[in-house]
Amino acid sequence: MTISESDASLVDSTGTDTIVELRDTSVSFGMDRGESRVLNEVNIDIERNEILGVIGESGSGKSMFASALLDAVPAPGTTTGDVIYHPEDGDPVDVTGLSKSELKQFRWEEISMVFQGAMSSFNPVRSVRTHFVETLSAHDYDVDAGIERAKDLLEDLYLEPERMLESYPHELSGGMKQRVLIALSLVLEPEMLVMDEPTAALDLLMQQSIISLLNEIQEKHDLTIVFITHDLPLVADLSDRLAVLYAFEFAEIGPADEILERPAHPYTRALLNATPNLSAPLEQMRPIEGESPDPVNIPPGCSYHPRCPLADEQCKSIDPGPYDAGDSRNHDVYCHHWEQSIDDLERAFTESNSDDSPATRNASHSDDAEPLVSLEDVEVQFGSENDGWLDFGESDVVTAVDGISFDIYENDVVVLVGESGCGKTTLGKTAVGLQRPTDGTIEYKDRDIWKGSSGSSTLEDEEIRRALQIVHQDPGSSLNSHQRVRSILSTPLNRWHPDLDGNDRRERILAMLEYVGISPPEDYIERYPHQLSGGEKQRVALIRAMLVNPDLILADEAVSALDVSLRVSIMDLMIELQDAFDTSFLSVSHDLSNARYLAEKTGGRIGVMYLGELVEIGSAEQIIQNPQHPYTQALRWATPELEQDDDPDENPIRTIDVPDQKNMPSGCRYHTRCPDARETCRTQKPELVDLSNEDGVQRTACFRVDDDHEYWDSEPITDDAVDGDEDDDHVNVSG
Amino acid sequence: MKRSEDTNQFDGRTSDGLDSGGDLETKPDSVEDILRSDGGTVDSPFERTATVEETRRDRIDRKLKDYLWTPWSIMRNDWRAIVGVSILVVYLLIGTVGVYLIDPTHPTHGESLVGPFEDWSHPLGTDQSGQDILSMTVYSTVPILQMMGAGALFTIVLGTGFGLVSGYKGGMVDTVLSSITDVFINIPGLPLVIVLSVLLEPEHPALVGVLLAAAAWAGLARAIRSQVLTLRGEAFVEASRAMDVPTISLLRKEILPHLMPYIVVNLVNAARRIIFAAVALYFLGILPYSDANWGVMLESAYRAGAVYRPDAIHWLLVPMIAISGISIGLVLLGQSLDRVFNPRARARHERSDDGKGSEPESEPNTTNVTQM
Ligand code: SF4
Ligand code: SF4
Repeated sequence: MTISESDASLVDSTGTDTIVELRDTSVSFGMDRGESRVLNEVNIDIERNEILGVIGESGSGKSMFASALLDAVPAPGTTTGDVIYHPEDGDPVDVTGLSKSELKQFRWEEISMVFQGAMSSFNPVRSVRTHFVETLSAHDYDVDAGIERAKDLLEDLYLEPERMLESYPHELSGGMKQRVLIALSLVLEPEMLVMDEPTAALDLLMQQSIISLLNEIQEKHDLTIVFITHDLPLVADLSDRLAVLYAFEFAEIGPADEILERPAHPYTRALLNATPNLSAPLEQMRPIEGESPDPVNIPPGCSYHPRCPLADEQCKSIDPGPYDAGDSRNHDVYCHHWEQSIDDLERAFTESNSDDSPATRNASHSDDAEPLVSLEDVEVQFGSENDGWLDFGESDVVTAVDGISFDIYENDVVVLVGESGCGKTTLGKTAVGLQRPTDGTIEYKDRDIWKGSSGSSTLEDEEIRRALQIVHQDPGSSLNSHQRVRSILSTPLNRWHPDLDGNDRRERILAMLEYVGISPPEDYIERYPHQLSGGEKQRVALIRAMLVNPDLILADEAVSALDVSLRVSIMDLMIELQDAFDTSFLSVSHDLSNARYLAEKTGGRIGVMYLGELVEIGSAEQIIQNPQHPYTQALRWATPELEQDDDPDENPIRTIDVPDQKNMPSGCRYHTRCPDARETCRTQKPELVDLSNEDGVQRTACFRVDDDHEYWDSEPITDDAVDGDEDDDHVNVSG
Repeated sequence: MKRSEDTNQFDGRTSDGLDSGGDLETKPDSVEDILRSDGGTVDSPFERTATVEETRRDRIDRKLKDYLWTPWSIMRNDWRAIVGVSILVVYLLIGTVGVYLIDPTHPTHGESLVGPFEDWSHPLGTDQSGQDILSMTVYSTVPILQMMGAGALFTIVLGTGFGLVSGYKGGMVDTVLSSITDVFINIPGLPLVIVLSVLLEPEHPALVGVLLAAAAWAGLARAIRSQVLTLRGEAFVEASRAMDVPTISLLRKEILPHLMPYIVVNLVNAARRIIFAAVALYFLGILPYSDANWGVMLESAYRAGAVYRPDAIHWLLVPMIAISGISIGLVLLGQSLDRVFNPRARARHERSDDGKGSEPESEPNTTNVTQM
C-alpha cells in the first residue's frame, strides 16, 4: 500500500520534456528461495538533455535499473511495468513491448549504453576501425560518414583518431578503451547514453578527465546522460539531478545541489556522511549501521526502517510515497518524516559521536626513533632484456620502482597513492618481502630481510617473515574459495601457534570474528567465502593477517573494492586493530580521500608516487591542504568532492595519458604532463627536498620548492603543437 | 559465470556494520559476554583459548565430517552418484566376495557352447571349450580392477605431482620437470606400450596398468602445471606465502582443492582408458597373459567366429557388457564428484539441512548485454 501526499513525480512531468519515463517498473528473478525483486516499482521521468546521476550501493538494484531502461534484463529475469521512450518527434514507444529487431535498432540508435567492463566489450582480434564499421553496417548506416563522425568523436575525447582506428584493443590502455567505447556508443547519434559505472576500473586522473569530457560531449551532442555509480562524489559535480537508490527503490530524487546540501531522506544523509572525502572534518564521517536488505526479503513499509534512526510504527507498515521536499517542485523524497529528518539526524549523529569517536592520534616520530622497516634505494625491474629466442623486439624491461627510500616506524601508517602502474603495489610488496628488489636494501630492525634467502619468493628469517604481512585488494580472491572461514583462519594459527589444539583455535577464531563485528560467529565460522559479503570478506582477511601478530601490514587497496559506505567502517576497524595489536600499516590506494581518512586519523603520512618514483611524502594534512608537487595538486584536483562546483578548475595536467613505461621521460618524469614544466625539468632530476615545519613533515621532489633554482630562469616547456588553444587540447597519446 | 557486483546480496549474510567503533578498553562487557560455554580464561579475544582439551575423537569427528559425511550427503541427492557408486560397488563385490562364491572354471567344465540361462550350473553359458563364462567373467574382474586402479593412480599421482611442483616452484625445477613431461608427451603412446610390453613381459595386472599409463600422465602434468601457474599468482596464495606456510601444506590446502574437480575427472577418464587399452591390447594379442580376462575372452570368442555364430554370441556379449558397465559407472561417478568439490554445492547442502534457503546457482548479470 502506498500513500503519498503528492503524486509528485507524475505531476511534475507534465511541464517538462521527458525522454524516458518509468512507471511502476519492476524486475524480478524467480529463485528457489522465492521471488527476488531486484527493482521494485520505480517511477521516474528522465528529462531530455539532462545528466541524471543514479547513486546506489552494490545490491541496490542500480544495474537492473540500467538494464530495464533498455529492456536488456538478462534471461531469467522479467521486467514488468512501463518503460516509455519519447522520441523528439513521433509517438511514444513502449520499450518493453518492442520486438527483437526493433530492440536492436532502439539500442545504439536511440539509447546506447557504456558498461564498466570496457575490456570485455572489444573483440581482441579486430581493430578499432572494424568495431566501428561493424556497428555502423549492422545498423545500415553510411560507413564513410560514420567513420568521419567517429574521428570527430575520438578527437573530442582527446584521442588521435587515425592512430586509434588502426589500433587493436590490447594496444590501448584502460582509459583509452573506455573513451573509444564512449565514442563507439555515440557513433549512431543516440539521444540518450546510459553509463553503468563507466569509470570504475580507471585511475583518478583518468576518471576525472572522462567526467569533464562527458560534460562537453553532452553539450555538444545534446545528449541525455544517465550515469549510474556507487560513488557519490564522482557524479556530484557532473549531474543536474541525482536519484538515490536504496533496496531496489528510489529513496530520493531531486536537483543535485539540493540533495547534496539538504538531503531529505535519512539514507541519503547517512550516505553523504559515510563517504570519505577531502574537505569534511573526519568526525563527520561515519559508517551506516546495518546492511542492505535481501531482495527476496525486503522489509515491509519503508525498506530503510531497520537501519533508520527515525523509524516509527508508521514506517514499519506503510510504504512512504513520494513527498515533495525542498523548494523546487521536482524534489521527491520517499520518507514519511523527511521534515524532521534533517534536524533529528543531526542530533542523532552528535549524540553517538560523543561517546565513541576514536580520537585522532598523533603519531609523532622523533627523528631519532628507530625505524621498523627501512627502504634504501629500492629498485624493482620486471621483464628480461629479451624475452626468448623468438622475440626479436626490443628489450622490455620495465622499472616499476626506481630508487625509493623511506622509513616506516612502529605504530606508523603510510599510505602510498598514485595512478595504476606507478609502482605503488610493487613497492608495497617489496617492503613486506613478497617481491625481491633488483637493487637496494630493505631492513627490518636493522637486519637485511633478504639476507640468506636464495630464491625470490621466501624470506629465510622466520621472525621477519612473521612480522610482515599483507591484506589484499580484491576481497574476492584474497580468500581461498574452497576453504571455510574456519580453515582460512586456522592456517595462521597452525603455523604460528602450534601449541593451540582444535578447540583453542576455534575459540580464538570465534572471538576474533566477534571482535570485528561479525556475528553470530558460530554461523560464520562454517561459511565459505562466497557466503560472505565484501565487507565481511575484508574483515576475515584482516583477522587472518592479525592472527600472525605482525609488525607491519601491507594493505593493498584494502577498501577500494568496497562500497563507499563500507569504506569508513573497514578503515575504522583497521585503525582499531592497529591500536590493539601495535602494528604499522603500509597502505596502497589510488584514492586520495581514503588515503586522507586513514592517514589523518592515525597521524600517518601520505606518499605520492609517479612512475616508480616517490615525488612527495608528508603528513596527511600537508599533502591534502598544502600540496607542493604539481602532481599531488593534480591528484587533489581529480578527487571528486561532495559539492557542486560552479566554476570547475582547469584540468591541471597537460596530457591525460601516462607516458610509456618502457620509455621513461628524462629529467623530471612528470615534465610531459606538468603544467609548470620548464626546460630544466627535461634534463635535470629533482631530489626530495625536506620542507617539514611545525605543521607537519613534508618532502617534495620538484624544483619549484627551491626559490633559487635555475628552474626559474629557464624557458617554460611548450607543447609542439601550440596554436593558442588551451593546454589540454592536445594530447600526446602514448601507450 | 562471472558475478556482477550487484549480486552479493543474494548470499545470506548478516551484519556488515561494525557494531562499535570503541576500542578494547571500552567494551569489557562485550568481551565478558562472548566468553563461550567451556569458559576459557581470557583477557582479550586475541588470547582466548578453550579450557576443554581437544580429544582425539573430536579431531577424528571433524575429519570424518569434512571428508565423508559432507561429500556423501551431497552425492546422496544426485542420481548419477547413486547409480555410479552402486555399479562400482557391485564390481568391487564381485572382485572380492564373488571369487569365493563362484568356483573357478577349467576347460571341459561343462559342455561346449551352452547358451545362457539354459543350464543353471552354467547360468551365463559356456564357451567353446566348455569353460563357464560367469566364472571367467568374475575371475577376470580382479586383474581388471587391479590394472585400472594401479594405472589410474599412477597417472594421477605422477601427473599431479609433476604439475604441482613444476608450476609452483618455477625456475630450474620447472625447466627440468617440464622437459621430462614434454618428452613423454611426444613419445607416441601405443608403440611405447607395445615396445615396453615386449621388453618387460608384464604378468602382474598392476604392472600392466602402470605400463598402460606410462604416457598418459604427461598430458595431465602439463595441464595441471598451467593451472598452478595461474593459481600461484592469486592473492590468497600470496597471503599464505607471507604467513610462511610450508610449501607442502600450501600446495595441499590452498592449491590442490582448486584442482580437485579436474583431477577427479582425469582419474575417472584414466581408469576408463586403462580398461579400454588393456582390453584392446589383449584382444590384439600384444600383452602376454596367463589367466583369462575380459580382453582375452573377447579375443578367443572373436577367433572362434562368435560374431557370425548365434550360438556363441553370448561368449562375446558378456565381457562386452562387463566392460561397458564399469565404464558407465565411472562416467557417472566422475560427473557427480565434480559437485562434491564445489564450495557452493557444499554450502548449499548444509544450509538446506538447517532448513534455511539455498542460493541460486546463477545470478543476474548484465555484462552480457554490452554487445548488441
Ligand atoms: S523515517 Fe521512516 S519512512 Fe523515513 S526513511 Fe526512516 S524508516 Fe523510512
Ligand atoms: S620539476 Fe618541473 S616538471 Fe617536475 S614537477 Fe616540478 S615543475 Fe613539474
